[in-house]
Amino acid sequence: MPAEPGPPGIRCEGIAKRFEGPAGTLEAVAPLDLDFAGGRTTALVGPSGCGKSTLLRMIAGLEAPSAGTVRIGGETPAEVRTRAGLAVGFQDPSLLPWRTVQGNVALALKLARRRADPKAIERLLTLVGLEGFGTTRPGALSGGMRQRAAIARCLVTEPELLLLDEPFGAVDELTRRQLAHDLPRLWEARGTTTLFVTHSVTEAVLISDRVLVLSPRPARVVADIPVTLERPRAEGVELTPAFAELAEAVSAALARGAAEAGPKGLAAQ
Amino acid sequence: MSTAESLPALRRLPALGAPFAAGLVLILLWEGLARLPGAEVLLAGPWDVALWLRENAGLMGRALAVTGAEAAAGFVLGNLAAVALALLAFALPRAERLIAALALLVFCLPLVATGPILRVLYGPGPGPQITLAALAVYYTTFVPLLVGLRAAPATWFDMVASYGRGHVAALIHVRLFAALPYLVAGLQIAAPAAFLGAMVGEFTGAERGMGVLTIRALRALDVEATWALATVAALVSIAVYAAIGRAGRRLLNAPPPVLLAPPSAARGPSPGRLLLRAGLAGAVALALWWGAMEAFDLNRFFAKRPGDVWAFLVTRPEAGAHRAELFGALGETLALAVPGYLAGLALGAALAVGLTLAPRAASLAMPVAVTLRAVPIVTTAPLIVLLMGRGPAGTIALVAVMIFFPVFVACLHGLARAPGQVLDVFDSYAAGPVQRLLHAQLPAMLPAFFASARMSLPAAMLAVTVVEWLATGRGVGALMALSASLSDYAMLWSAVVVVALATVAGHALLGAAEGRVLARYAGEQLR
Repeated sequence: MPAEPGPPGIRCEGIAKRFEGPAGTLEAVAPLDLDFAGGRTTALVGPSGCGKSTLLRMIAGLEAPSAGTVRIGGETPAEVRTRAGLAVGFQDPSLLPWRTVQGNVALALKLARRRADPKAIERLLTLVGLEGFGTTRPGALSGGMRQRAAIARCLVTEPELLLLDEPFGAVDELTRRQLAHDLPRLWEARGTTTLFVTHSVTEAVLISDRVLVLSPRPARVVADIPVTLERPRAEGVELTPAFAELAEAVSAALARGAAEAGPKGLAAQ
Repeated sequence: MSTAESLPALRRLPALGAPFAAGLVLILLWEGLARLPGAEVLLAGPWDVALWLRENAGLMGRALAVTGAEAAAGFVLGNLAAVALALLAFALPRAERLIAALALLVFCLPLVATGPILRVLYGPGPGPQITLAALAVYYTTFVPLLVGLRAAPATWFDMVASYGRGHVAALIHVRLFAALPYLVAGLQIAAPAAFLGAMVGEFTGAERGMGVLTIRALRALDVEATWALATVAALVSIAVYAAIGRAGRRLLNAPPPVLLAPPSAARGPSPGRLLLRAGLAGAVALALWWGAMEAFDLNRFFAKRPGDVWAFLVTRPEAGAHRAELFGALGETLALAVPGYLAGLALGAALAVGLTLAPRAASLAMPVAVTLRAVPIVTTAPLIVLLMGRGPAGTIALVAVMIFFPVFVACLHGLARAPGQVLDVFDSYAAGPVQRLLHAQLPAMLPAFFASARMSLPAAMLAVTVVEWLATGRGVGALMALSASLSDYAMLWSAVVVVALATVAGHALLGAAEGRVLARYAGEQLR
């Protein structure tokens, strides 16, 4: 099926994941029907180990679902990947230590079978605040700088779909806030469809247009909360009553999910 | 003071200080010993060696050029073979065990007997020396490289996959680079091993080279020449070892800790499966052996087939006598090899552990040990024969020295791998150094200890057979020398087969012990 014009939406039908282990079957994601509108940013929030990363990996096609289908603008994940239409930001920045920052960003273009334009890469590095670090190797960078380099790698192929798995996980609080403010502007401007896994309530509200709260394993949707704050988010938006209300709602949904799962949910952790 | 500050080379002196001082002490000690009354019949000091080298510079230069060229050719060929084998084993995961088993079997061939066989197969020329040098290096590159090809974290492959690219792109962009530190580690060990292989090849009947000069010096009881040759062999090996290490450090910005031969799976397969696998590997080895002989249509007189060895040892009327001779000699050899091997293991591990309790001494001993590990010990066999005589003590000592250095270095690396946070926990309870050693450092050392023990098993067999061949006139090494000079090729081939199988069996035994010990003390090391 040909891709529709504009940023693609994502449609998951009955998508589920079970892992067969020596200790029996582990149900990571219960059958889920999900729709993500094109061009919007959605945060997936849930307790650790609830299956949100697995969900993201299934949408990227890195993991085959045990049941159900994923369509990205009508295409399968494999088709989208083959033309480098998506990019994944991993929890670990996953930079290759033997390549410079520039080399790591250029690698994405190489893998996407596109020509690397050093000037464009330099501009992107400036945009993520790594100006002048193009020839540095990842080993010499701080955790936050590595994350930004990884995000630059995600953006360099100008993907239609951006899948970020706790991309600020390994970063200190201060840098984290800075990144959460600065980076969405980069993909918002391009109208990229973005899915964003996090367990920080503030981050979810700050970054996204919509928050999906997931239950403890196996993941179900506990709440689907639209975020109506104005874009781009203003400096200090975290201190407004509207923001606090949304954050409250997300926290309450998280607590509800945990309570409904009860001791069984805890035992599954 | 101003000179030291203005010259960067001088400012780096403190870093070089420890090995430099240790080297100076060694040289002075050596000179001092050589000047003891009565020592001149055994020991030539550095001064005598230098004088001999100046007088015989032309001869030495030509011999070094010959041996160096053979070693270099063997180094290149052996490592290319290792890379090809590792890629093949990686590409065909189902055949990996078989390829690894055959590679081990070939690595366990006793070089001193393989030499004369290759000489009759190849005819005159440097072929056997080059082949022996290649045989001495390929396994120690193959094993770490295969590990290295799998050493990258899973998310790097996810990253490649997220751009829709498959295994080939992952191999080119991730695996080959991730394997480089492992390749460098293998190449570094390979340099002295190639020199050793070339010299052993020359011991077994070449026309030119340092090995030939060594034999000549030993027969003439020329003490200065013997020491000079061993010194040059050692210095060349150390230099190449250091050069490769240096090039590696320049090439790799952050080399990860490399464990050269990680243990195999925790829960081994059932004995029946193991036998089946061993049988399959054996059958393929026999088919390859037979096929190679037939393909080149080699003369049956010296190119024995599996059937000939079987007849020689089992079905012919004189088979019983042959068996008695061969196994008798093997028994004599093992009676020296096993104590030497165990002594080398024990000394290496004990000294490493001892030094951990005295960290200052460790920082001094490490560079010296790493340097001496680069010495192809077998090339110093003549010295040990000179020093300790032709009795069992000399042989046991040589084997022990051969095993000592790799085990010692591996154990020091292993001890250093004890995680800092775990040690901090011990410190937070004010636990003493012995507690730390027993509960944190020794378990961290075990995998490295076993890996080095497995890898040095063929080295022990090589050391013992070389001494027997060159000097003592006992055991299976002497039997090989005798068979080679009498053109008794059936016995020579049989000796090769039996020694290789004995070494592989020892390797398997160690592997089993390793699995049990590690399952108990270092479970995280097993996959």
